[in-house]
Amino acid sequence: MQWWCAARGSAWTWTWQAYPGVWLFILMIGLAYWRLYGRGRPLRARHAGAHEEEVATGGGVPPRGWPGWFLGGLLCLWLALDWPIGALGAGYLASVHMLQFVLIALVSPPLLLLGIPTGRPELRAGSRSLLRLVTHPLIALITFNLIIIFTHLPSVVDTLMATQLGSFLIDMVWLIGGVVFWWPIILDRPARPGFGHPMKIGYLILATIVNTGTFLYLTFSELPVYSIYELAPPVYGIPARDDQRVAGLLMKVGTAAVLWTAIGVLFYLWYREENDEPASTSHA
Amino acid sequence: MTGARRSISRSLALGSAALLTLVACDAGGDAERGTAGENDASSARAAPGYRGVLLESGPRPDFTLPDFDGKAFSFRQETQSQLALLFFGYTNCPDICPVHMAGIAAVLRELPWETRDRIEVVFVSTDPERDTPERMREWLSGFDPQFVGLRGDMETVNSIQAALALPPAVRAAVPTDGEDDGYEVGHAAQVLVFGAGDLRLAYPFGTRQADWKHDLPLLVSELKARHEPPEAVGASSASSGSG
Repeated sequence: MQWWCAARGSAWTWTWQAYPGVWLFILMIGLAYWRLYGRGRPLRARHAGAHEEEVATGGGVPPRGWPGWFLGGLLCLWLALDWPIGALGAGYLASVHMLQFVLIALVSPPLLLLGIPTGRPELRAGSRSLLRLVTHPLIALITFNLIIIFTHLPSVVDTLMATQLGSFLIDMVWLIGGVVFWWPIILDRPARPGFGHPMKIGYLILATIVNTGTFLYLTFSELPVYSIYELAPPVYGIPARDDQRVAGLLMKVGTAAVLWTAIGVLFYLWYREENDEPASTSHA
Repeated sequence: MTGARRSISRSLALGSAALLTLVACDAGGDAERGTAGENDASSARAAPGYRGVLLESGPRPDFTLPDFDGKAFSFRQETQSQLALLFFGYTNCPDICPVHMAGIAAVLRELPWETRDRIEVVFVSTDPERDTPERMREWLSGFDPQFVGLRGDMETVNSIQAALALPPAVRAAVPTDGEDDGYEVGHAAQVLVFGAGDLRLAYPFGTRQADWKHDLPLLVSELKARHEPPEAVGASSASSGSG
């Protein structure tokens, strides 16, 4: 039994496999959230100003700090890490590996962060300056994109995906990179008054452009670049080259879909703010 | 800008540049470097100039088996002036066989017609019980309709393999998931290539498409040089270059 999804080398079957490491990881994050923010709170947040915030964001959109956001993010993370997506992405199909990337680094982190109540996290002076540095938009953007490049290098993928520890490492780097990337967009700690909606929109637009190199490399390579997927037992006879092409497109299209949705929300909030309507600036 | 900020910016810029250089090197080198030397083939000795493993030279094996049309296929005669790729496997194989066949087929599709036309891929079944002619035709044409499938009784097939210093195919008692009549067949994992003269090469499992793309045109050009007069080779190269 494997504790984390990694390349197996055996033929793919739809027989369910248990990955206890994934369950433990998800459970730990869930417990940490419950301990920090969720204890004694119903699913719909009751923190100060939640009702006003909900009204401000249009009434139908739950406010920041709503545990449902966090649960959604956690569910998304679990879906990406566990069988079958985790197993297929770890050792069989590059396209599913890319789907994992989109879910772990781009979809799950903003939902997890949206589940953190306004005004949190409360930070000590030491960690505040470190967090301020790490989540500085320029540094966050550069870090995230270096992570994208580094974790899609053939030598890195072929080496790390072959082992459970390596596969775990890639998943964690994606998750942490995603949290760092989304932090300045969603959380108001540390406060960055100069980083308003227009800047946030610019930040996300820039992010849609910088992964183009990896997308082009995967989509237009004449040969399969990852040996782990090229030499994996075939799944439904999907050729390695086609699978890789889909992976490249998924990177571009999947990333764009998530980022442009966020850009749309930011535009809406900016519009409301400009029209002197009380919208939450921290709600992306 | 403070000194500390300047230092951070400089470090970031240097770090980014270093990583981008690494990416460029990795991207550029991968297709070329994606050699058998990186995987299962690594322990074997690479032939000079080729990525396959040089075997002791010898004439092509002389055996005749029925193909999936029932016609007798004499390996030595039929592949005489061709680059012959010979593989022993079975159509229910979950991993090695489809990966080899798919890799070779993908590369053949990209080769110029003059080169592709000189390559014969011959698949000999190590599971004649389940590999009916219809099943073999269907399975092989899924990769490339020009692939040839041969079938004989296990004794004959194993004697051919023995003559090529390959281990005999063994029906393994490993139960599968209730499909494929519940057994697998252990068999040699390498593709044998018979080139110009007595040249023999082996391509173990782990050979990548980049390796085939590198070696097949080279092997075909050697074959052409041996079987065709120099003018014809020159003319053929010129026409392929312009076309």
